[in-house]
Amino acid sequence: MGFADLSTPVVMGILLGGLYALIALGLSLVFGVMRLINVAHGDLVVFGSYFAYAALTLFGIDPILSLILGMPLLFAIGFTIQKFLMSRSFGVSMEAALIIAFGLSLILQNLNQMFWTPLSRGLTTSYSVESFSIGEIFIQLPFLFDFAAALVVMLSLSIFLKRTYLGKAILAASQNKRGALLMGVNTGRIYALTFGIAMATAAMAGVFMGLTFPFSPTTGLSFLVISFGVIVIGGLGSMIGTFVGGIVMGLAQTLGAQFFGDAAQMLIAYTIVLVALSIRPQGIFGR
Amino acid sequence: MKEEFFTPKARWIATGVIVILAVLPLTGIPRAWLLYLFLFFVYLALSNMWNLLAGYSGLLSLCQPAFIGLAGYTLVIFTWSGLPFYLGIIVGGIVSMAFALLISIPVFRLRGIYFAIGTLVVPEVLRVIFFLWRPIGGELHGAGAGYRLKGLVGISGAETYWMALFIGIISIFLVRLILASKLGLGLAAIRDSDSTAASIGIDVFKLKLYSFVICSLMTGIAGGVFYVYQGYVEPTTAFGIRWTMILMLSTVIGGMGIKEGPILGTAVVVFLHFFLAEYTGINLFIQGVLLVTIMIVAPHGIMGLIRGMRVYRLLVQREQEAIECGSHRAGRRSDL
Repeated sequence: MGFADLSTPVVMGILLGGLYALIALGLSLVFGVMRLINVAHGDLVVFGSYFAYAALTLFGIDPILSLILGMPLLFAIGFTIQKFLMSRSFGVSMEAALIIAFGLSLILQNLNQMFWTPLSRGLTTSYSVESFSIGEIFIQLPFLFDFAAALVVMLSLSIFLKRTYLGKAILAASQNKRGALLMGVNTGRIYALTFGIAMATAAMAGVFMGLTFPFSPTTGLSFLVISFGVIVIGGLGSMIGTFVGGIVMGLAQTLGAQFFGDAAQMLIAYTIVLVALSIRPQGIFGR
Repeated sequence: MKEEFFTPKARWIATGVIVILAVLPLTGIPRAWLLYLFLFFVYLALSNMWNLLAGYSGLLSLCQPAFIGLAGYTLVIFTWSGLPFYLGIIVGGIVSMAFALLISIPVFRLRGIYFAIGTLVVPEVLRVIFFLWRPIGGELHGAGAGYRLKGLVGISGAETYWMALFIGIISIFLVRLILASKLGLGLAAIRDSDSTAASIGIDVFKLKLYSFVICSLMTGIAGGVFYVYQGYVEPTTAFGIRWTMILMLSTVIGGMGIKEGPILGTAVVVFLHFFLAEYTGINLFIQGVLLVTIMIVAPHGIMGLIRGMRVYRLLVQREQEAIECGSHRAGRRSDL
């Protein structure tokens, strides 16, 4: 097998990795700051896809444009979840928060199913089916969009965390909750805002995911597992790690499909997750 | 302080209840009732085992569907090879146990939340494998890689009911037996503080592994019994998250880390299961709302609430004071 045959899956894998990083970003942020595994993340991403789908089919709004409404909406949902549900569970135990997230995942799955039926949907626009080629490499346009969106979100989020007062407060709360409290940071509010920001990125991930792949109410779980894989490889709570982890997962999937057939692609990705977990649970870039 | 196996009074009551439950199919009660009770006992065994893992051993295992599905597939392979089905159920449990030992190599390196993530991936892996691998040649029934159990025509509803009753009761006794044993004492110590337990010479790794392996065996057997009733196995549901939901819901509603918890919780879940059957559209929604509400309003479940009540403490606590000694989470809370 020559280099030319592999170039397309390698490029596609890297681009797909951008989408995975974008999906995993919110999960990673919530874990990094609150030490909470939000198992409802995948379903919230799918909810974001459905919101864009509704905007597209009912009002004919372009999915990417609909983010102007979708991101504030998911921000509000995330803020509410943290402020009224999660914050109360933190006092009980670690499992309590996990179980609440699990309950939310069931609720969202069912709501998605109620409003949009269990049928598989897709965000079909004029550009979502385009593809072009550079030399012998074939690239589907949505994949390029995914990668670009991931880069933009990743960069703006790290600038936000480093440069702004709120960003610094979020970092402080993630590093040491008591210390941040003593410095006058309202950690309860910071947590709610963090969850909100994570959900806004989930809205974005939902739109780009919907442009790339078909989705149904139960898709959330498989994307949750992929996101786990991404942040486990990259290190829970690390930004650059998440990006690298996404690319590793993307490559594992496209190269797995190339060598072992389409059906085995997820198997390769899951195996990598388990191997990564057992060798280095805190991830490559983990602290 | 050791937990006593059973008080003499409770022993008589338990014997009476078991005898009544055992003769139920012979009294000609409606088949639907037998089905409710069948599911109750299967789910009870599953959630008792999960309670032992999550509530007592600090192992938030999300890979229970793996054991159930593996047992189901073992059963199918046995019936297609012309071997007796009860052997299939037992070997199914053993296969699950062997699998638990195998995955313990990677997942037992993980702690707390990482353990939960690691175990969540496992059933997904198995689902993909069983989609690809056809254990019994090309014989395909229905969509996906589903298989029908072969030659199970001779088994009546009463017999499957008795099997479920048997494993349900065994699971209750097993939990009590383990908690009353040295293993249980060690697990209680680990649950209260991992590092303190290790410092007083408890082999944390070994005890956790023991409870993980025992639970996988029982979960597998319960899964096998369920598939005798269901009659077919199919990867999406066999390794599906619905199983995790059922046992998590029963344990949490009843009270996690309380031995009576799953009994009450499973009763609620089975009731909901049939009550909500007419409203399939919002079934999951209601269960999700319930899970969230209970976790916020009563984090120790119904049993935790009852234990906190003054009436209960006056009636029962005095008798059990020496037994409980505040080692339970809920017990500790009500003592405050």
